[in-house]
Amino acid sequence: MSLLAQSSAVIGMNIKSLPRRLWMSLAMVLASAVVVAVLLAFLAMAKGFEATLQSAGQEDVAFFIRTGSAAELNSSVMKEQVDLLREAPGIASNENGKLVSPELYVIVDGTKKSSGTDANIPLRGMEPQGLALRHNFKLVQGRLFTPGTDELIVGEGVLRQFEGFELGNEVRFGKNRWTVVGVFSTGGNVFESELWADAKVIQTLYNRGSSYQSVRAKLTADAKLEDIQAYIKNEPRLNQEVQTEANYFAVQGEGLSYMAIFGRVISAVMALGALAGALNTMYTSVSDRAKEIATLRAIGFSNLSAFIGTMAEALVLALLGGFLGALAAFLLFDGLSTSTLSGSFTQVVFSFEMSGQLVMQGIWLALIIGFISGFFPAWRATSVPVAVAFQSRG
Amino acid sequence: MKDLYLVYKNLTRKKLRLFLTSFAIFIAFLIFAAVTALQGALNSGVEMSADNRLVVFNKINFTQPLPYAYINKVSGVDGVKNVTFANWFGGYYQEPANQVVTMAVDPDSYFEVYSELVVTPEQKANWLQNQAGVMVGERLANVNNWQIGDRIPVSSNIFSNKDGGQTWDLVVEGIFTANDPQVDTGYMVFHYKYFMETQSWGGDYVGWIVLTTDDPALNEQVAKAIDENFANSQAETDTSTEKAFNKAFIEQIGNIGLIIFGVVFMAFFTILVLVGNTMVLAIRERTGEIAVLKTLGFSSPRIFRMILTESCLLAFLGGLLGLGAAYLVVGGLSQMMARFLPNLVLGPDIVLQALGYMLLLGLITGIAPAYRALRLNIITAFARG
Repeated sequence: MSLLAQSSAVIGMNIKSLPRRLWMSLAMVLASAVVVAVLLAFLAMAKGFEATLQSAGQEDVAFFIRTGSAAELNSSVMKEQVDLLREAPGIASNENGKLVSPELYVIVDGTKKSSGTDANIPLRGMEPQGLALRHNFKLVQGRLFTPGTDELIVGEGVLRQFEGFELGNEVRFGKNRWTVVGVFSTGGNVFESELWADAKVIQTLYNRGSSYQSVRAKLTADAKLEDIQAYIKNEPRLNQEVQTEANYFAVQGEGLSYMAIFGRVISAVMALGALAGALNTMYTSVSDRAKEIATLRAIGFSNLSAFIGTMAEALVLALLGGFLGALAAFLLFDGLSTSTLSGSFTQVVFSFEMSGQLVMQGIWLALIIGFISGFFPAWRATSVPVAVAFQSRG
Repeated sequence: MKDLYLVYKNLTRKKLRLFLTSFAIFIAFLIFAAVTALQGALNSGVEMSADNRLVVFNKINFTQPLPYAYINKVSGVDGVKNVTFANWFGGYYQEPANQVVTMAVDPDSYFEVYSELVVTPEQKANWLQNQAGVMVGERLANVNNWQIGDRIPVSSNIFSNKDGGQTWDLVVEGIFTANDPQVDTGYMVFHYKYFMETQSWGGDYVGWIVLTTDDPALNEQVAKAIDENFANSQAETDTSTEKAFNKAFIEQIGNIGLIIFGVVFMAFFTILVLVGNTMVLAIRERTGEIAVLKTLGFSSPRIFRMILTESCLLAFLGGLLGLGAAYLVVGGLSQMMARFLPNLVLGPDIVLQALGYMLLLGLITGIAPAYRALRLNIITAFARG
């Protein structure tokens, strides 16, 4: 018999006899499933959060905040400074003039549906050009706010996670009353966790005078960030720094990257524990069948085929567990919408995102567990001399 | 004594299995204790809040300021004992990423209201005299290696200094500690008046007001009186107990915390189930031997006790090692992460909980085989073997 035929015979035998060792086999499957599910839960969370922030930033939008302020919330930009920034080199225009959007960013309280407690929602003050700067901005219900009135539009994320923001509702922040006149989508990114209203109205209601907090500007195709940096440097009245919007959000998105690290560390440590359990299972399973394996070898099966048979058994069980774990993680977490505190002190609504790539990482982990927990017992089973194996009890 | 020797022999008969089983238990308890400590650190703000302390914020949101005049009005409310106030400074040291929690406070009343903080009268007097002086919490001082008398440049990511730039030179006049290790001392406070005079925007507002009531029973009444006082004014207030506020703040992190801890604890119990399965099987293998012991005259209760002892010993062997490792890990982490996660300690409550689970693991895995052994009929056992 060829090695291939021998091996497949042994593999078939081992797999078909799995139900006989039901509890042992289940333990192995469970061990692998748990580790994979834990890993995927963490990765899907980190991935979803990152995607929500990163997809908001555009490479061809320049983003100005006061030097050292790190986030929009802390920054300030005076009206004169906005006018100066408007004249910076490389800024694109449309039919309404320069594509520059000075914005305000204040925090208001909303009531979370999940817990019934108050949480921070950003209320962004904008001018009409601001909407032109958001790619894939879309009104899904109602209409835009009318400048100069206390109307606001609400992101789909806010609508999903917070109470009382339905179209037509009146909402109250402290003394101020607002009317929800529209619901917008920006393709799932972080802007959907915000409320948008007219900048001038917010300046009045929040005692901001004529100041803003950040400025966004669309760049022309041949614009260079260095030229803008040089322009700011040569203008003593400006104390802003410039970066692409994509860069700003990439840094903000790192907020939950510790989740991914934490998840990897936890699942690595847990994998060690599960591995110990799986090894135990496989050793017991092999020593239970020491005589059978010895018999195979005595009637002419090669050591290698016996080895491969045991390995295959471990791999199949681990892989089965891996798929079960991935499936459980997928069913429980994929698309799960939740919100958390971001670096800028406000709620970001995001969804867990399970991708094929993540599932592959889980499957790899399962394969590693299967390989290690199969290798050593298989090695032992085939390296014991046949005669000794027959003498052993069991 | 002889029984213990037998138990020991049984435990160590398969060294590899003993090692693997203890290792899995070790990992399970390591994760359990470390993650529970982490969870405790996140919640410590809630547990450490004083019962009679209330916080007054702007109703719009806690990032919105309150008029300075409110302080006097709040002091006048019946049932209010001490009042102080604070302003968020948005401080960082040297680099924006290196955030330092800094608040501008009223130096006369701050330590009265936060009575769990300990500061020597001498240091406090020095601080009161020095406008540019700063009181640093012990943990923060340790992290940055600051000593009394050090001049530290602290920058703000929000405010600008009138002299230009965003940096204030402050002098460490004192280092405060707390009467409980779980109280956060990872921040520093400096003079509100000095802050207001030197920052470029000026204005007469405060970030928030903190007060203590004469008696916790008065909390609700006082909170209501304050909020009613400012109803329909330019800045409405929201007064809550410190505990409720901290709890709400943690809840802002949201159910992802819940999800994480849920996932980890599920994994912990699964590992225990797996290990339990192995332990049960390991004893079941020995049915024949137990029959021999019985034949030799070992009484059934004696064998029952021996098996339970064995499974509990195994559970505690791995579990205690895991708990010890978690203690070291948490100790190391709390050094490393003192800046982000103060109050990371492996408290006695976690140890007790872990010990409880170990005992439970030992009993549950031992009870089924022990019971079988108790009822074992020698004849059938031999017939089967």
